[in-house]
Amino acid sequence: MNAGNILVWIVWFAAAAGCLGSALAVVLLRNALFAALALIGNLVSLAVFYLLLSAEFVAAAQVLVYAGAVMVMFLFVIAYVGWNLDVAWTGGPSWQTLGGVLAAIALLAQLLVVIALAATNQLKHAKHVSANFGDPASIGRLFLSNHLLAFEVISIVLLVAAIGGVILGAQSRRTRTGGRR
Amino acid sequence: MSTVLPLATAEVWWIGAIEALVVINILLLAFAFMTLIERKVLGRFQRRFGPNRAGPFGIIQPFADLIKLVRKAPFRPDRLIHPVLYLGAPVLSATMAFLAFSVIPWGGGWELHGYQINGQVVDVPISLIVIFAIGSISSYGVLLGGWVSESKYALLGAMRAGAQLVSYEVALSLSVLGVVLMARSLSLTGIVAAQHNTIWYVAPQIVGFACFAVAGVAEVGRAPFDLPEAEQELVAGFHTEYSGMRWGLFQIAEYVHMITISALMVTLFFGGWLFPVLHRFGPVWFLLKLAIVLFCFIWARATLPRLRYDQLMNLGWKVLLPVATVNAVATAFFVVLR
Repeated sequence: MNAGNILVWIVWFAAAAGCLGSALAVVLLRNALFAALALIGNLVSLAVFYLLLSAEFVAAAQVLVYAGAVMVMFLFVIAYVGWNLDVAWTGGPSWQTLGGVLAAIALLAQLLVVIALAATNQLKHAKHVSANFGDPASIGRLFLSNHLLAFEVISIVLLVAAIGGVILGAQSRRTRTGGRR
Repeated sequence: MSTVLPLATAEVWWIGAIEALVVINILLLAFAFMTLIERKVLGRFQRRFGPNRAGPFGIIQPFADLIKLVRKAPFRPDRLIHPVLYLGAPVLSATMAFLAFSVIPWGGGWELHGYQINGQVVDVPISLIVIFAIGSISSYGVLLGGWVSESKYALLGAMRAGAQLVSYEVALSLSVLGVVLMARSLSLTGIVAAQHNTIWYVAPQIVGFACFAVAGVAEVGRAPFDLPEAEQELVAGFHTEYSGMRWGLFQIAEYVHMITISALMVTLFFGGWLFPVLHRFGPVWFLLKLAIVLFCFIWARATLPRLRYDQLMNLGWKVLLPVATVNAVATAFFVVLR
């Protein structure tokens, strides 16, 4: 074990601790501002994992899109509605909560299965990391070949979301100006 | 588990550390003298002298300012709820500003006594995205600093900054796509190398350059896009409640960010450190181009009035974004068809 490997382990443990700690903080903190800040920490520590897995492009995109752009919107909303909302959640378990719990259970089951398979050396595909693994060109090639359908579906979802945002914004503007527009 | 970031060229790690130290100190000096040069140039634009008391031509004015800032009593608002965030916000801003400059190439690399010295602190294959990622994190310094100050002016400034940064980040990233497509590289060293034997990208990418210039000024939050700190409306905007060197850190962050965006503009559109003659003096050409771009920043501040908020949003979403998108798509067509 050389110095570089020890450094990688240290970084891995720091990122893992940061990831778990910030994830707990997101769920447990009552203050919405701190929860959002913890979520930023969580996303950044995930980016560190991507870096350790030599997926620099994914790491940079994670920081740029999630930790940067998306979370700025979160903080923006929290600043508008105030971060000291101490009102407890009164809504009962909705279908969204149920779906979330089911999805979490499914993910946990997958995770456990993969860990068990890896521990007993039964994973089908051995890892193959070539020199250009994770660089933008190979990711783009995968998007436009093996994963074309998912790529196109996501683009339609995003388009629908954008149009929905425009319609919602236009409606609120119409009601505010008294229907003059 | 044994892979870390692959470095492009083998450089001993302590040479990189020394380079980082030198670059940070040069950036600090550049910041100090940018404040002086800006005041001098603005003075000349307004037919007055600018600072000329401290030393010949006011040349030690930055150091006088530094001593004044350090000796000032650092007050803070009484009603502060989150003192750690209050102190952390300027630190975050300044750190991220320095971090972003580390991937900018300023020379071709040299060999000295058998040691390889690279022309940049670190070279990653996706350095352009790294700069944008760091830039998006640095906006939290402004946002948090404005909110935790518990002051209405600071809050308004922070909200304006948030909206402005999110809006113009999109246009900024789209405006550089044309260059990326032409150079077929996301690495800044690769983009500079691609401009070696061709014309600089400012000529074929003149539309992308115009979008980048406007969005870049807005991203830095300089006049005419200085709504987050509009004096006439918001006292000083997001840094109203900061004083002394805490305010100084925000100031450092703004200027270093401006220098980084200018350096990025030089790298993407003006061939970086390349020049038709005397390649060995790369850093000199780089600094020369950088100085010209920075002068244009000050020029814009002296000339243009501040935009209104709705004008700002209209320009970003209804002009820059469509133009940058069309430019990127058109460039893609040309690159494929050629």
